[in-house]
Amino acid sequence: MSRLLVVDDEANIRILYSEELADEGYEVVTAANTAEAIEKLQQTPFDLVVLDIKLKNENGIELLQKLVRERHEMPVILCSAFSCYKDDFSAWLADGYIVKSGDLTELKQEIARVLAKKIQKAKIGL
Amino acid sequence: MGDCPNILEGDEALLASRQRRILEKCCDCASFKDDLRRFRESGHPLAPVILTLHGAHQRQKSQIDSLVSFLDSKTLEVRFLHELGSTLQSSVDLEEVLSVALTAITAGKGFGMNRAFLLIINREQGLLQGHLAIGPRSYEEANQTWDEISRNDMDLQGLAQNFRANKLDSERAKFHDILEQLTVPLSNSDHLLISTLNGTQPLLVENAFHNPDISTEIANLLGVDTFLLLPLISRKRRVGMIITDNCITHRRISEEDMRSIENFSFLVAFAIERASLYERLQVELSRATEAGNKLKEQQELIVRMEKMALVGRITSSIAHSIHNPLMVIGGFARSILKSTPEADPKRGFIESIVGEARHLEDVLDEILNYSDSLYPTRDFWDVNQLLEASLREIQEFLLERDCICQFEPQEELPLAYIDFKQVAYCVRTLVMDSLEGRSGELLSMRALRQGDGIHVVITDRARSVTPEDLDALLTPFAITHTMGSGLGLALCRTMLEKQDIPFIVAAPPGGGVTFTIILPTEKESSHEQAPGS
Repeated sequence: MSRLLVVDDEANIRILYSEELADEGYEVVTAANTAEAIEKLQQTPFDLVVLDIKLKNENGIELLQKLVRERHEMPVILCSAFSCYKDDFSAWLADGYIVKSGDLTELKQEIARVLAKKIQKAKIGL
Repeated sequence: MGDCPNILEGDEALLASRQRRILEKCCDCASFKDDLRRFRESGHPLAPVILTLHGAHQRQKSQIDSLVSFLDSKTLEVRFLHELGSTLQSSVDLEEVLSVALTAITAGKGFGMNRAFLLIINREQGLLQGHLAIGPRSYEEANQTWDEISRNDMDLQGLAQNFRANKLDSERAKFHDILEQLTVPLSNSDHLLISTLNGTQPLLVENAFHNPDISTEIANLLGVDTFLLLPLISRKRRVGMIITDNCITHRRISEEDMRSIENFSFLVAFAIERASLYERLQVELSRATEAGNKLKEQQELIVRMEKMALVGRITSSIAHSIHNPLMVIGGFARSILKSTPEADPKRGFIESIVGEARHLEDVLDEILNYSDSLYPTRDFWDVNQLLEASLREIQEFLLERDCICQFEPQEELPLAYIDFKQVAYCVRTLVMDSLEGRSGELLSMRALRQGDGIHVVITDRARSVTPEDLDALLTPFAITHTMGSGLGLALCRTMLEKQDIPFIVAAPPGGGVTFTIILPTEKESSHEQAPGS
């Protein structure tokens, strides 16, 4: 079972993601801000992080850069209400990018795609 | 008039003055000379004295007449030079100046030479260049021209205007072969034309076909053995040269001719230089005006972009505030819907919530996409402005580290078709990454046109990088902190790649590192793709 960390500052979204992704068979842990996310990342390993870009007074991109620098083997999918971040060069470091929607089909497909890619990479030893 | 046959109409005043009558008329009169002869034969003791005085008077009178004639010719020359000077000084049109100069040398009312060639210095190419000529190439043509001039009876200015309007191009074409061969590199100081130009004094070449000091090459080219070379010098600055000759009449060119034309050549040189400067000034002015207009356009574009960006930010902010709650509503509704049996009477209501939420999300997407489209991405930008703006933004960073990034705007750069924001980011990142962790260092940045693109080159002479390190430079986190954050250059490469902009990092053998970004100057179909898409 893959372990996912969902980082989002809105409690309702964390609940929604937890419920939906758990239904898909993932083990989901949530964090409301970058400090909590880092703490949880230090406690246990995760297979993938779903990260919101706008986190109250913080910027998810900064956490993304830290994760890419320190845990580049762990994929990150960025989530945002804005499609414009797709053009932000900093966002290109992420493995996936999803515009938030009440329909979580796209997010689920993206998680499945990124995890499959990660497994494939591990197989060929990259 | 009275009894004297030498006193004519208009000489009435002489009847009242005996003294003037004797000096002006009697001394030359045949009767007076007969009287003198008889006086001498009479053996009068004063006869030899009177004869001596008469002879001296006659000689002095002849000298005075000659001087008056010389003075008249000089007065005419001064008037002629004054007239030409006025015309030349009032003109800033190079073609007009050249027309007046060459017409004055060749016209009968001017210096009356048969033919003249004008050579002008081309400093950019380092040449004394045959520019224009006037005159006939055969006896028949000469006769035809002289007939035409005598029929029209134009003054010098009229002749010059006529030449400019009707003959300038045809004369240039007629003498094209000779003008081309009269073009000589300024470095060829052994050449007769260049050595005369360097000597700054006019040279009258005589017997050119048999003069051992003169190469016959130029005599063969002109087809005459006597010609005059007049360097055009304006305030010690070499402007060009006039070559003139009498190829048809073979009239001798006197020392006096040479000095008169030399005086005239000063005026011509000054007028040519002034007209050339004026022409260059006009070009610079139109370039400056064009640059000013472009700057204004770009400033307006920036203001428009800022306004659009503000609209975009407000729209995004509102849309974001609505988007998240809507997403939660829609998400939970979908979640509830999944666990609600088909027969449940409330299922229809939940389906409505899901549908309406989806509809509202679509509306929001549309608004957000519209606000995104308000941001221009690629456009034509002034690279000098881009680089200056980029350096201004990191000025504080440079000051903190006591580092300098030298940059001098390059003139005549075309506009580059780029995403201003992203290229400016790359430039800033390259400078900042290079100087990270260092102090008191010097970078240089320049933009130059090469081929179809503009090369922006950032040179760091102080850094030493091995060829192996170069690959690592562009790999994220593959290098130590001494080479920057480890992410910037990789991002720059990705950003530039997405715009099809070549990015070259090189370590020249002499040491240092150079970063070269090659910006396109033309809009290509491949560039129409949105960056990051």
